[in-house]
Amino acid sequence: MRYLLVDRVTSWESGVSMEGVKNVTMSEDFLEFHFPRFPVMPGSMILEALVQLSGWLEAAGSGCECWFLLERVETIKYYGFALPGDQIELRVEAAGEEEGRSRYKGAATVGGERKVAVDFSGRVVDLKDYEDPEEQAHLFRVLTRDVKLS
Amino acid sequence: MRFLYFDRIIEIESGKRIRAVKTFPLSEAYLKKHFSRAPLIPGSILVEAMSQITGWLVVYTHKCETSCVISLINNLEVPADLRAGATVELHGEIVETDRRWSNCRAWVERDGERIASAERFVFPHFKEKYPEEVANFYRDIGWIEPRWDWETP
Repeated sequence: MRYLLVDRVTSWESGVSMEGVKNVTMSEDFLEFHFPRFPVMPGSMILEALVQLSGWLEAAGSGCECWFLLERVETIKYYGFALPGDQIELRVEAAGEEEGRSRYKGAATVGGERKVAVDFSGRVVDLKDYEDPEEQAHLFRVLTRDVKLS
Repeated sequence: MRFLYFDRIIEIESGKRIRAVKTFPLSEAYLKKHFSRAPLIPGSILVEAMSQITGWLVVYTHKCETSCVISLINNLEVPADLRAGATVELHGEIVETDRRWSNCRAWVERDGERIASAERFVFPHFKEKYPEEVANFYRDIGWIEPRWDWETP
């Protein structure tokens, strides 16, 4: 599995919030076992999509110098399933700091219908220790449709 | 990719507890992008591992006649720096269960030290239409020979 769970970044305000989408397709590897007769996107992977969107929010506000790593989930509530063919609308909002951790509120909806609400926090790290910042900046341009072939 | 985040169940006791082993080899596909300069186990994978073993415990307790999905997790902690190559032990316990739902807790140990935990997993139950298939899955994947010599909660 290619562990990139945000397909597109649709809008953001530096340091404040970011919105994006994740498309669930029948070809996703994880659907084979989750579940064999009832394929739905695992809740942990929707959490990962929101964590990655927080990483992109940190990167967008720092010129690709920062990223975000999950350490704590206070509460995550699942209200319904995301099935193959669904487009999940993702939103994260920065919610301040506590005990040295950056806090976020995340939400996932499908067609405006609430599927997930989560409060989580973690560590903001130097992106260069984890990824090549230039490649990450290019990927961000792909996610925001700011690229051309030539 | 097989979306299974335990390698072997080493202990399971109906209505009470489960213990399993999980290794994180460098060959895991997700490590290529998490991250290219530092292969670290994503916290969400540990969330999935704890969810899977507690879910298996619930299903086993209800003799494979129930399936379950998570509706709520509270107070979950995961490490941000668990590196590829680690072997961990997954622990799950049922706090409460009846016909309609289960409440569980789980934690992860590495070399006897707790590195991740979740205080509360809430699983609403659904009727399982194919209990024999699930029992076979336990045999084939879980290294468990199902026994059904207990009263269903």
